Amino acid sequence: MAKKVGADRFGDFYIDGGKVRKRREWRGFSDTMYDYSRWLKIMMTLGKFVMKPRNVKAMLRYRWMANYLAVPMMVDRHTQGLRGEYLRICHEEQDLIIDDVAKLLDNLFRGDRRIGNDEEFSKKVVLVDENEMTTVMMGFPNLKCLSRETPSTYVSVLLNQHAAEYYIDVAQEFGLAGDVCPMPEAEAGVSIDDDAPVLGACALQCNTTCDGSLLGNGVISRRLEKEDGIPVFQLAAPLRHREDDVQDYAAQEIKNAIAFVEEHTGEKWDWKHYFECARRVNFATQCRQEWLEMNRTPYPQVFGSNLALYTETNYMAICGKIPEFETADRRITALARKAYEKKKMAAKEYRHRAIIWGVQSHYYMDFLVWLLNCWGIVPLTDMLSMVSTRVLKEEDTPENRETAYYDMAWLTENMIMRNRTHGGYKVLLDELWEFVEMFNADMVILWEHISCKALDGMHGMFEEKAREKGIPLIWVQHDLFDPRIISRQGVRDQVNTYMRTVMNEEPIDPSLEVLHDEQSW
Amino acid sequence: MSKPLKIFLKLLLAVLGFFAVTFTVYIFNLDMKLTALIEPILLKHYDRIQKDTHL
Repeated sequence: MAKKVGADRFGDFYIDGGKVRKRREWRGFSDTMYDYSRWLKIMMTLGKFVMKPRNVKAMLRYRWMANYLAVPMMVDRHTQGLRGEYLRICHEEQDLIIDDVAKLLDNLFRGDRRIGNDEEFSKKVVLVDENEMTTVMMGFPNLKCLSRETPSTYVSVLLNQHAAEYYIDVAQEFGLAGDVCPMPEAEAGVSIDDDAPVLGACALQCNTTCDGSLLGNGVISRRLEKEDGIPVFQLAAPLRHREDDVQDYAAQEIKNAIAFVEEHTGEKWDWKHYFECARRVNFATQCRQEWLEMNRTPYPQVFGSNLALYTETNYMAICGKIPEFETADRRITALARKAYEKKKMAAKEYRHRAIIWGVQSHYYMDFLVWLLNCWGIVPLTDMLSMVSTRVLKEEDTPENRETAYYDMAWLTENMIMRNRTHGGYKVLLDELWEFVEMFNADMVILWEHISCKALDGMHGMFEEKAREKGIPLIWVQHDLFDPRIISRQGVRDQVNTYMRTVMNEEPIDPSLEVLHDEQSW
Repeated sequence: MSKPLKIFLKLLLAVLGFFAVTFTVYIFNLDMKLTALIEPILLKHYDRIQKDTHL
């Protein structure tokens, strides 16, 4: 029970084998009251959501909705140990994402043929992939761009580590391979299990990241088109995204996707709205760059899961379409500047400065908080946060309209994860070492998603380069959505072993080294 | 005791009562402990739903 940063033994909050924690942290009077007030706000958001009978109906219909019981606990996991500005930055982001997901769910159930069945509303809905840039929707202010996979699988696993297991098993029962990425496999499982809301005038899918993703999209689009009568456009963005010779084709694909949406919804592309969204995207990029600049110094401010989760949401799903995220960017930057000026630290001791690379374990997103609290390893930035910083055209002129197609294509090609797992040796391997130098890092934590063939093939080359540079590299294996393959403790053990045997160090908080959280949400 | 003072005291009591109850729920994580009990009931319910499960 302490106001001072790092004075608690965080392992003591866990109940062995339990689903939830014993109690919440006492962070000193003002920070506890702040955290309590934000908890009240989250409860009000959830309360407002369940006030609508159709949402209760959906809760009783869709298995994945049970994971939303764990919303407050997800926030607690990410705020562990945080005080002052860090706590406020985290809440600024998490509370906004919760609000945004609540609206997404509400809209999905409003149009869902099984639940709200609002046909007029459904005609204004365009379904998109979870793993897809939503740039092609930046010029359709009157349409709702909704992703069914985001709440059913992506957010569900953030809430409850076991959320996807049922759907992975369903997909495999129907003969889908067990060694593909469990994320698209779970998304396919939701569709096979008839557990996806049915709505929309049309859908856009993208050849996002991998073979597994294409597999999942194939299963989902078959049901959408052949049974639900919802036409699907396959946006095939080039994989060699750094090459100049693919950009014309990529821009044409964007034009084709926009024409498809216009045809099926009757809406016309609105350039004024597009350029307004582009301006917000540029502002988000500017803020992110400022945060990353701070992270190059001894006093990083927006890092770890505060950087990772928010960037994923803001860059990919929001794409400048929601003004509230601009306000959040502004507030987060102000808080970060304030903490930076005071040379504040998020933990009592920073021992190592690490770049986190590879695709992170989704069932253990708060691993970055654990790294900091247990071993004093500061996760300065991560692969999924190192996305495009291109400045988009934001003035409406005939030339800029043509360039805008190329900007949208560039963002789509450079979607989170895809911009590194595809595009060649340079973007995945070489740039990691450039970032190590740029951020003055002395360690690399390399997530090895064991079902991701795109990354696993580079294992030896990463090791070779780490040896050459003399940088300690810790491999952390995981299976993205499936903690039955490698548990959270299995993830932690890999770091614990390396830190004790290779680095010869003792943990800052030994109570966190081994946690019996297999049953935890 | 004047009427406005009575109203003020009642309001103050209500606010303090609300704070005492909600803060106890918050600090002892009672909200999560309760929802952890609800989850198995919901999962049993989902198992009983008839669905058109197919590839």
